[in-house]
Amino acid sequence: MPPNHLEKTGRLEFTLNGQPVSLADVPGEASLLEVLRGRLGLLGSKEGCGVGECGACTVLLEGRAVNSCLTAAWQAAGKRVITIEGLAQGEVLHPLQEAFVQTGAVQCGFCTPGMILAACDLLSKNLRPSDQEIETALAGNLCRCTGYHDILRAVKRAARWIREERP
Amino acid sequence: MSRFVAAASLDEALAALASGEAKVLAGGTDLMVQLRRARLAGDELPAELVDVNAVPELTRLELEGSEPYLGAGLTFHNLGSAPQVQAKYPLLAQAAATVGSVQVRHTATIGGNVANASPAADGLSALVALNAVAHIASGQGRRQCPLTELITAPNETTLAPDELILGFVLDPLPGSWGQAFYKVGRRQAVSVARLNLAVCLERELKDPRVVLGSCFPTPRRLGDVEELLSGGQPGEELWRKAGAQAASHFTGVCGWRESAVYKVPAIAKGTARALADAWSVLEDQL
Repeated sequence: MPPNHLEKTGRLEFTLNGQPVSLADVPGEASLLEVLRGRLGLLGSKEGCGVGECGACTVLLEGRAVNSCLTAAWQAAGKRVITIEGLAQGEVLHPLQEAFVQTGAVQCGFCTPGMILAACDLLSKNLRPSDQEIETALAGNLCRCTGYHDILRAVKRAARWIREERP
Repeated sequence: MSRFVAAASLDEALAALASGEAKVLAGGTDLMVQLRRARLAGDELPAELVDVNAVPELTRLELEGSEPYLGAGLTFHNLGSAPQVQAKYPLLAQAAATVGSVQVRHTATIGGNVANASPAADGLSALVALNAVAHIASGQGRRQCPLTELITAPNETTLAPDELILGFVLDPLPGSWGQAFYKVGRRQAVSVARLNLAVCLERELKDPRVVLGSCFPTPRRLGDVEELLSGGQPGEELWRKAGAQAASHFTGVCGWRESAVYKVPAIAKGTARALADAWSVLEDQL
């Protein structure tokens, strides 16, 4: 659907975690993060800094990691958005989620949704990432608890599971 | 509250900007921060946000020929990963790869980097080293402007509210050139450059380009350093002297401020290193 059509209806429409959403009265300046949290009640995406420094608000827009705090909600019009809530298949966690849990890559958990979605973007292009490639992919995501070491291990573990097609 | 206008064509974008009360929304990575700040402060918001991401003219990338062209709407991800940019303008690809984070590079555009005119913009230093000329349009017509004239002060440009940067024509750099980009920041990602350097050298050291960013209010080539390099004997000694000259250029313009304690040695060594890197690219081609 062309963005102009959406604009004329006055409703912001996009696909969120595979489901269509349609919202009225979304101001132009509203960020995607505000809409996800405030209008759609999805609290997995976090606001850490609000200015693109911490990556806690990372979501996938058309499959690519973006800071939802720096994305105008209307930029998602007609597009596909994936948040942390959209990764698991029912009760079965995404391999990255499972690997983060099993590897102890989660402490306070605030950065975890953003970390996982940034890692998800990486693994969608590269299932054999080197340490340096993981570090670059996650360089926009801050974690003040784990020291990153176990996050790197978790990403590598998830990559291996996906390669081996383990659930 | 700002009205959101998704422009599907250049004409639509320029028509929407004609009121003079709209802001261009490209990647949004600077604008959204500014809007957030304005909202928190209770300041007035722009009447309209004109999203130009779907304007086809802005994503043209044609580096062959005598007028290599880079659309203003190309993202840093586009620039960092495009094989033709990596091959012809490696310093631009390197600069693009150091901007922000993966998330920021996915959306932030080179045109936005220029229009925002931050003194620390990494893309700007690379473009200035490539003698970039901005192509600008409005409902009134078109104009061209070298980047060094377009940017007049930190975060200030000669862009009128109804104008849109379409793209940049770059120096074709005929022959072989060695290029390097070097950046010092506090953190690998999302760090505002404390200093950045863009360097272009050709084998005879004719027309060398040395741009030092994040140290001056507006991007500038270091004319005295370039003069020192011109026709010199390439090697560590020349790079070291050029580094010392760059550092004295900095203190000459900015005086000895607090940050000079680390900036002066960092500029001296960084310049020498960027020159050595650029030269080693040329040597590898011999």
